[in-house]
Amino acid sequence: MTSGRYSTLAQGALFILGMLLVLGVIDAALAQPFGMTRGAPPPEIGGFTGWIFAKQAEFYRMMSGTIRAAKADGSAAYTLMGISFLYGIFHAAGPGHGKAVISSYLVANNETWRRGVVLSFASALLQAVVAIAIVGIAAVLLNATAKTMGNAVRVIEIVSYAMIVLIGLRLLWVKGRAFVSLLRGEKHDHHAHDHHHDHGHAHDHDHGHDDHHDEDEAAAWGHAHAPEPSELAGRDWWKRGLSAIVAVGLRPCSGAIIVLVFALAQGLFWIGAASTFVMGLGTAITVSIIATLAVVARGLAGRLAKAKPGAGMLLLRGFETAAALLIVAFGALLLTGYMVSERLVGI
Amino acid sequence: MTASLRILLIALTTLAFAAPARAHPHVWVTMHSELIYAPDGTITGVRHHWAFDDMFSAFATQGLESKEKDKFTREELEPLAKVNIESLKEYDYFTYATADGVKTPMTEPLPDYWLDYKDSVLTLNFTLPFKTPVKSKELKLEIYDPTIFVDFAFAKDKPVQLVGAPACKLDVALPREMTYAEGKALSNIPADQQNTTMAWGAQFANKILVHCP
Repeated sequence: MTSGRYSTLAQGALFILGMLLVLGVIDAALAQPFGMTRGAPPPEIGGFTGWIFAKQAEFYRMMSGTIRAAKADGSAAYTLMGISFLYGIFHAAGPGHGKAVISSYLVANNETWRRGVVLSFASALLQAVVAIAIVGIAAVLLNATAKTMGNAVRVIEIVSYAMIVLIGLRLLWVKGRAFVSLLRGEKHDHHAHDHHHDHGHAHDHDHGHDDHHDEDEAAAWGHAHAPEPSELAGRDWWKRGLSAIVAVGLRPCSGAIIVLVFALAQGLFWIGAASTFVMGLGTAITVSIIATLAVVARGLAGRLAKAKPGAGMLLLRGFETAAALLIVAFGALLLTGYMVSERLVGI
Repeated sequence: MTASLRILLIALTTLAFAAPARAHPHVWVTMHSELIYAPDGTITGVRHHWAFDDMFSAFATQGLESKEKDKFTREELEPLAKVNIESLKEYDYFTYATADGVKTPMTEPLPDYWLDYKDSVLTLNFTLPFKTPVKSKELKLEIYDPTIFVDFAFAKDKPVQLVGAPACKLDVALPREMTYAEGKALSNIPADQQNTTMAWGAQFANKILVHCP
């Protein structure tokens, strides 16, 4: 196989993958339908999806009985931890904007899988902490009602979704510009982008420790792509990622809040808190796997870009821009209420 | 990287992204429903008794004041019932009626709704009248949450009763749990393929069918 034919093939495959990825992420995020048509029949649930649905419902329902049992028999607490862990794993595979935003963020930002794993774990941990803090402060200390907690969650939600929009817009600005200028066929010579050049080295150097894809890509790009200087400040990835962690992790899972309040009603708040952390652990594992797959796909695109500098690079930038666009779309839809992540009915 | 490995990765990624669950139930409701007939044989409405699961019941009653610990009277639950009924409006009370194939609108619930609390389970009781009383050969009532945040299921014993009905035949499509084999079969259908043989919606819906002469 000649390298030319190979990359054409691979390019086709990657294009299809890219489309599927984008559609899949939209599907994931729109799990709770748009606007929700009145009287529409329930969405058909089948395949892998139906199985995940059945599993997470099964584990969630097992929790109440196990928490009750833990009241009389301490060893049931261990069972609860196992169930919570499995629930976390399956729950995160279900609808939710978290994994979609993290994956899109990693793709758009060209982060490594290790960073993806760190982001996934950190945001899941934060999510658990927020849930425990809300129930701990509102219910345990203030004896507030479910309605008050619901209101608190709504405020947090707005902040979280607004942050997602901002992160997306910032990425879109950076990546979209690079894509558009590439599309116009602008030459990225050193003359025009001199001041970016130095930063580019710092960027490549830092990434190089973790991931070889970036080196390949940088070579293909000729060290001339032009993200904002702050984007390139190598060790700042953690700071950069922090906004994504907070945006995704701020909004607690309704399930965790309900479990915590239920545990509190049984006089077992701390067992509920432990269960919440274990749920978060399960969630983090699922999100990490999905995020890693997204990074791998992005890496493949990077290799392709090296093999075929012109079209490949266009595809790569297109990929990144689409990912940034997706983040904006998620945030905007969530913020305007067209996309309901989770809701607490009737409180 | 070999081509096959590449294909594998693509397949894996596709699977991970294209197969998210659409469902997220956090509230389980066990239903008893009654169809209310007028003396002239028309159906005036449906009375629901929705029992919430114990976790949600504990959550919803958190922080509510009561004279006796872990016990709530109808009066003490009145404000909560009001919020429940008001917020259900947005979701059309999750009740969809079709008379002889025509969608039949319902109005707001009668003001006699109430919540009761028994054995740590909260039950919401309310009557949903039809805009105009229905007289039809076939009436179909479906109760579901399109977003599946709330999982509705008919109770196993006497899920539906006809109150003051003439000689009508009642059919209740009881929801059932997906068996392990079904779950496995479902999971074997490729994620990108429409599942036509095992329509979940139809098999697991909560349907009341009434046939009258």
